[in-house]
Amino acid sequence: MDRLSRTGLWLRRRAENIAALMLAVMFVAFIVQVVLRYLLNLPGGGASELTIIMWLWLVLWGASFVLTEREEIRFDFLISSVGPKVRRVMSLLACAALLFLYGYSLPAVWDFVTFMKIQETSYLDIRYDLVFSIYVIFAVATLLRYAWLLVATLRGRDAGGARTGGGEGEP
Amino acid sequence: MIDPFTASVLSIVLLALLGLPVGHAMIASSILYLMLAGQDMGIAAEQLLNGMFSSYILLAVPLFILAAELMNSGSITLRLLAFCNAFIGRFPGGLALVNVAQSIIFAGMSGSAIADAAGSGKMMQRMMTEGGKYPPAFASALTASTAVIGPIIPPSIPMVIYALVSDASIGYLFLAGVVPGILMGLVQAGIIVASARRRAFPVERPVPLRELPGITLDALPALMMPVVLLGGIYGGVTTPTEAAAVAALYALLVSAILYRSVSVASVYGSVLSSARTTASIGMLIAGALVFNYVVTVENIPASLSAWLAGFDLTPIAFLLMVNVILLILGCLLEGTTILLVIVPVFIPTANALGIDLVHFGIVCVVNIMLGLITPPYGLLLFVMTTISGCPLSRIIREILPFLLALIVALALITLVPDLSLWLPRLFGYNG
Repeated sequence: MDRLSRTGLWLRRRAENIAALMLAVMFVAFIVQVVLRYLLNLPGGGASELTIIMWLWLVLWGASFVLTEREEIRFDFLISSVGPKVRRVMSLLACAALLFLYGYSLPAVWDFVTFMKIQETSYLDIRYDLVFSIYVIFAVATLLRYAWLLVATLRGRDAGGARTGGGEGEP
Repeated sequence: MIDPFTASVLSIVLLALLGLPVGHAMIASSILYLMLAGQDMGIAAEQLLNGMFSSYILLAVPLFILAAELMNSGSITLRLLAFCNAFIGRFPGGLALVNVAQSIIFAGMSGSAIADAAGSGKMMQRMMTEGGKYPPAFASALTASTAVIGPIIPPSIPMVIYALVSDASIGYLFLAGVVPGILMGLVQAGIIVASARRRAFPVERPVPLRELPGITLDALPALMMPVVLLGGIYGGVTTPTEAAAVAALYALLVSAILYRSVSVASVYGSVLSSARTTASIGMLIAGALVFNYVVTVENIPASLSAWLAGFDLTPIAFLLMVNVILLILGCLLEGTTILLVIVPVFIPTANALGIDLVHFGIVCVVNIMLGLITPPYGLLLFVMTTISGCPLSRIIREILPFLLALIVALALITLVPDLSLWLPRLFGYNG
């Protein structure tokens, strides 16, 4: 294994660690909230807010760095029933459309997220641009991912189909 | 030139068919809509972020997934399945019947069909295909179709969302789901029994009667889970969402303390696996939230409502029409979207026609659940493809008989309100 793919694998494992941590925090915060509210009669607003931040981050973080192509929910219907040549064209079209639309809207996304710095969350007082920054990370990561997929498909790799695994023996 | 809304709908279909993940297809097409309509394209991000951030109820999804994963890794599911198997595995098509029975029991613990399929369903899939007992596509189709019972029998996430939009009582809605849920299990069992001989489904080794008390006792802490969960909800201790977290905690404690079957590594494995499933399904919800904006801006609910008022409908005709519309929409839209966007349109008309809103809720939720297994856009079909690795087309072929039987059950539930309302009335509902 060359150094690049070893680094890639290491990074992916860390991304998984973070995703698992987010869910764990969400779960613990939820339990804490139930205990605070019902056993101790204290307001659990902070815990509740933490839970919902973790939910948002988990989904977008996971979609950006953890999910393999196999795990993403898609129609494999058409793409698995056509030949490799047609599949290549389909993948190219899908990649191009996504790159155009996500890329073209990126400045507007940036504007919205940075604009949100004027507000803070109600309990934990975190600036909303920080909470929402995950969307920028998600958009950029998705763009990079599909740019890579586009290049790989152009070079002749059979990419984009549902059957393409994540590359490191995910089940 | 086509209008932006039509363009965005076509774009979703096209991009999804080209193989883009469905969540991305919905987000990208909503961006296309914003672009063509000359609106700020940052709205897509805004809708997604605010939608995810304010949908507190959706938190039940990852927590129920986690509860199911913890049950599986901690051998709770295994014990429950052994319990079901001991009683009904001895009949032809035994494991297939076990699949139906377990889904009814699990329905009492989880509120989400997806969590059921990803949790106990995943384990059933493995058991049924081990040693080539059942064709993998049949096992997947059956698991998907039994999982729809999950949100019909309480607790139920879709019913909580319906209660939100209709102001019907959550408690009575939950009770109203019990009989229809069991009915749906029965029609599925009917299909299995009918085809068991023809397809030569295997019979499981009969478990001796003297072993039954031991197996039952072994499964008891797991069987208590619905009691803990529903007790929490009905006792007013927890909200349905919190009940999901409590369920996960209960699963963890029972596995760790009573069954002593968890390790740090297995807990990490469950958490990571749940995180992956959450992200995968969360992307679909995120996409639906963004597209929801497009549907709302285009005033689709109001147009539909006005169009409906044009017909002079009897209550039965109205219900049947709602069934048809929801079934068709269920093939295209995600269930939560339908509940939040489409169903509210029907509620005023249902009310005016004197249709009981609890009954109407059951009809809608059953309908939307059937949408999860209706090809081509059935979320549960996708989940089962992911879990089993079977091609979607083969699962679809196997699911058709179950789908037809469930549609018959839906017709019964629609035409006989007492099926739903009998139990709530027993508990003092006067509707």
